[in-house]
Amino acid sequence: MTARNAQAWANPPRVPPSHFVSGWVYRDPAIYDAEQAKIFRRVWRFAAHESEMPEAGAYRTFVHACEPMMVVRETGDRFAGFIDRAGPAGARLLPGPAGQCRSTRGLRPCRTAAKWGFVFVTLDPEAPDLDSYLGDALDIFRDVFEGREFSYEVFHFHQAIVEANWKAWQETILDLYHEFMHVVLRRTQMPATAMTARSLRQHRNGHVSIGGLRALYGNYQAYRVRSEGEALPGLTPDDARFTPLFPDTTIIARGTVLRVDTVTPLGPHRTLVESRGLGIKGESPADRRMRIRHHNDYWGPLGRNVPEDAYAAEACERAFGRGAALFQTIARDEDGRGQDDCGLRAFYAEWSRRLGRPACAPTNADAISRGEQEGKP
Amino acid sequence: MSARAAEAWSKPPAVPETHYVSGLVYSDESVFADEKRRIFDRTWHLACHESEVPEPYDFRTVDYVGTPLLVVRGADRRIRTFFNVCPHRGAKIVHELSGNTKRFTCFYHLWSFDAVGACTDIPRQEGYQTVGLKKDDVGLREVRTEIHVGLVFVNLDDQATPLGQYLGKALDAFEGPMTAGKGLEVFHYNRAIIQSNWKAWQETNLDVYHEFMHVLLRRTQMTAAPLEDRKVTVHPNGHTSIAGLRAKYEYYKGMQSRDDRLALPTLRADDFIFGTVFPHVAVLARGTTMRIDVVTPLDAHRTLIEWRGLGVRGDSAEDRQARVRHHNQYWGPFGRNVPEDAYAAEAAEMGFGRGAARFQVIARDEGGSGQDDGMLRAFYGEWSRRTGRPAANPSNAPMA
Amino acid sequence: MTEQNVRELVYRSCLALDREDFDGFLALCDPALHYVVTAYSPEIRKEMTWMEQDLAGMKALLAMVPQHLRRTGSLHRHVSVYQVEAPASDGTIGALSSFLVTHTALDGGSRLFAVGHYHDRIAATGGRHLLKTRRAHLETRDLGIGLHIPI
Ligand code: FES
Ligand SMILES: [Fe+2]
Ligand SMILES: [Fe+2]
Repeated sequence: MTARNAQAWANPPRVPPSHFVSGWVYRDPAIYDAEQAKIFRRVWRFAAHESEMPEAGAYRTFVHACEPMMVVRETGDRFAGFIDRAGPAGARLLPGPAGQCRSTRGLRPCRTAAKWGFVFVTLDPEAPDLDSYLGDALDIFRDVFEGREFSYEVFHFHQAIVEANWKAWQETILDLYHEFMHVVLRRTQMPATAMTARSLRQHRNGHVSIGGLRALYGNYQAYRVRSEGEALPGLTPDDARFTPLFPDTTIIARGTVLRVDTVTPLGPHRTLVESRGLGIKGESPADRRMRIRHHNDYWGPLGRNVPEDAYAAEACERAFGRGAALFQTIARDEDGRGQDDCGLRAFYAEWSRRLGRPACAPTNADAISRGEQEGKP
Repeated sequence: MSARAAEAWSKPPAVPETHYVSGLVYSDESVFADEKRRIFDRTWHLACHESEVPEPYDFRTVDYVGTPLLVVRGADRRIRTFFNVCPHRGAKIVHELSGNTKRFTCFYHLWSFDAVGACTDIPRQEGYQTVGLKKDDVGLREVRTEIHVGLVFVNLDDQATPLGQYLGKALDAFEGPMTAGKGLEVFHYNRAIIQSNWKAWQETNLDVYHEFMHVLLRRTQMTAAPLEDRKVTVHPNGHTSIAGLRAKYEYYKGMQSRDDRLALPTLRADDFIFGTVFPHVAVLARGTTMRIDVVTPLDAHRTLIEWRGLGVRGDSAEDRQARVRHHNQYWGPFGRNVPEDAYAAEAAEMGFGRGAARFQVIARDEGGSGQDDGMLRAFYGEWSRRTGRPAANPSNAPMA
Repeated sequence: MTEQNVRELVYRSCLALDREDFDGFLALCDPALHYVVTAYSPEIRKEMTWMEQDLAGMKALLAMVPQHLRRTGSLHRHVSVYQVEAPASDGTIGALSSFLVTHTALDGGSRLFAVGHYHDRIAATGGRHLLKTRRAHLETRDLGIGLHIPI
């Protein structure tokens, strides 16, 4: 058999239910609302890095679960998050994305906690504390952050609105198989180690960590080989590892530099992506220049990696957004190595658990064919 | 009686139900959702002209009411159409508008597909061994594709009636001009998004009475032949055609009468015939050149219109230049006819889009001649039948 | 001096069209005017001609404009002359310009309408500079409802 007719196309893929996802997860407004209520209002969300709030009273704003939010350094290492809405009209109190705030009186506080300088908030008073939420998901970064005399600092921030569902962005991080799309990864990453050297670990609460990746930077023309002396403590210069935290935050290290990504849904078909680059506070100007360059090579808005991911997310939106694509397959099994889809499966398993709907048939647990779903209210 | 107060304004016109249309057909979101499901997902859609994919492995991509489509001519010269959607993780595969390739490789994970929609390559396929997924399981979604007088039609409904039966005799008048000799080819394509409901555009192709709006038609058409010579034909399935129109081009300053030598096969140079295919295609021939409209809704208030101009395949440079000029005089974006129709469609949207206008009247009856509204009534008759909502009162509960 | 005259001619032709001063525009045209608007369609992979006129044709068309139903509001051409060539053997001078055209609606909102290049040849005879050929090549292919006057 080759091409498929309408009926064959509407049949779910012949793989286990955990190994495919229905297109409805991207476009059903009711699912979007349920995600806000049952996921975003319940999880811990990365708000800002401590270096963005250098002294007492310094704040940083962001959007989370459709709420205008802010986090402020109160004293020393104490941070406090608030819903930045005051007065009867609920207008934002703070004038810009960052600055000094005089008072938080009248703002509704939310639970706030920090780990390794990353400040998180949650809107759920019942949520477990941050440490148990994260569990051992960040273990692969222990060497990078723990027991260091220096601290990290954010040197890069940019944001972009991507015309796609937020999950299509998060998938570009969870999906290892798509390294085929990036010429930089085809050249620098795929030949650097055996596929079996990689390891993908699933953690509690839908987090995933990926280690064992390396890069041969010299294989991409215009990139320089990264030297031993340039590496961050705890890493070799060719190291690459990352942790996508459910649902919306990812911490990524490439030997010499760090990136933190957050994804914020603005609607079923629009997503805000924020990206930070981090280096060592107080390092020499030459080292900083090196780290900025390494960061931008892959991850800057003119870099060779991230813009391609945005292209991919929007290309999926074109097919899923109005219902042409009905399913995606996340069925690769390489025993937790290579280009296994287990990271995507872990994400969707947690998504299904929180929403109480299986991602393979989210609009009606019993009816997975398109025709039947069309009859839904 | 003169002007009307609110209550009188809200009353349906005092004409038969078939002779007026409620403004809700333009503005109600649930009407639009039904149009998509019951009309656009089920009827034949004009994707392109066969001359746009002349050679084996030529392709063309189009977007059809939110469905990205890929039209490809195979090695066997047959034209096929597929969803331009990857069966793997759903990405839109081909992003160019046209080209020639034997192999469509999805940019995301490099799965490849051939011109008959088969998956020909999955990189590192061993990753799918556990679940037993094979290339044979992941072909593209093929869409029914049939060709009539050179026009490539597609249908998302595999159960739809075959194209020939659907069209009936609606395009018979175009058989000669479009297929005799070497056939036609597209020399002009342009598109625009207009701010109006899709039906407001299609109405400009169904409403003969509005020739009063166009100074060009007042001069060249209304004076050229008696109104009684015109003959409107209503075909099954909501298609329409009209014959008996002529043009005296020289009556418009700056235009010349057209030479019979350039007339398309079976036509005279001053002939004007046109027809519509339900729901959203119009085919027009003015003696020496042709125009084809395709109207595709983007949402209830925004519409994509694609215009094509056609000449004879193998025209001499000089003849082609003349046809291009004739086409542009009326129909190009700098022409004297089409921009006024877009103006009219947007003006109708201003009236109906937010509910100020309540009804439109389509009640002219000239026995199928002159400026009869029969074509509009045929369109709305079919529209009502397919949506299950009477156009005069579409918010009525759907009739089964 | 010549270069200055060429620039001035290009700018004046645009100002005249912006003002819809058609007589003013026609007065800047050589009797042998050849005016073409072109665009390339990647959809059909062909160069297209969207308007082609000589002086008489242009005159006739422009004379009819006031009787037409057409886009309301105004167009505004923003032009930069990029290159002015040395005079050719027939005395004409080539000029390449870029244009951005904005549309301002009656309610005062403006938006980008079209972009492209003018490829002009200018005749310099009897001390006067006149527009002899213009190819306005559009990058923009979605012109909304279209328009009744040269771009
Ligand atoms: S989405 Fe097309 S190859 Fe993966
Ligand atoms: Fe990527
Ligand atoms: Fe018209």
